[in-house]
Amino acid sequence: MIGNDIVDLALAQKESNWKRKGFVDKIFTNKEQLLISKAENPEIMVWNLWSRKEAAYKIYNRKTGIRGYFPLELECFDLEIIDGIYFGKVTIKANNYFTKTEITNKFINTIAVMNIQDFNKIKTLKNSKNIQKNNGIPIYFEKKNLAKTPVSISHHGRFKRIISI
Amino acid sequence: MNKEEIIVKLKAIVKPYIKNQEAFDNLTEDTDFIADLNINSANLVDVILDVEEQFEIVIDNQSMERMLDVKSTIEIIETKLSEK
Repeated sequence: MIGNDIVDLALAQKESNWKRKGFVDKIFTNKEQLLISKAENPEIMVWNLWSRKEAAYKIYNRKTGIRGYFPLELECFDLEIIDGIYFGKVTIKANNYFTKTEITNKFINTIAVMNIQDFNKIKTLKNSKNIQKNNGIPIYFEKKNLAKTPVSISHHGRFKRIISI
Repeated sequence: MNKEEIIVKLKAIVKPYIKNQEAFDNLTEDTDFIADLNINSANLVDVILDVEEQFEIVIDNQSMERMLDVKSTIEIIETKLSEK
């Protein structure tokens, strides 16, 4: 299972005022709030953590069928930068998901997986061809051999990212 | 405050965040904030904060978990108002 989330930073700045009273408290745990306040660029950290939570939620939602708005229950851990890519972990109840986040000055994109080895298997799809939705969950259909592979689509502002495994 | 008054107030709250005008115009209790109105999930927290401010109530995390559609949101607002 995979999860994918993209944030268009210019649009996020227009759509959300993360400094608004209560915003950070409703979304981020105390530890995450500390990361935001200590960050060189707090706004980037806000969307970095947010995209991790969103990507992890997509896996959790697929796996359990549970749908809800509980950003505080998804907690980001072990932020580590390797070659400019941010690796980490998101926990929700007893589940751990691994996250890989790419940060540019235009967008932030997080991919979440259940097993860390799965990062090597991720493919980016160019378009929505052969993708069908089953109960709201996208699946890639290979006509030749009828194989189905899970897909995760994220679209925000100028950016769209489709991945499969 | 009756249910109709709550819906009118709630509609005004969600209006700035909606991305699907048609679904907004045809809003019912079954309308889903994300699936139907296409509200960005990061803006859902704004809806919740606006509800807190405008109805002068506090939405706890457990209630927030369910605030994905008009029906649950009305229920939560009614409960919180009755506790005041």
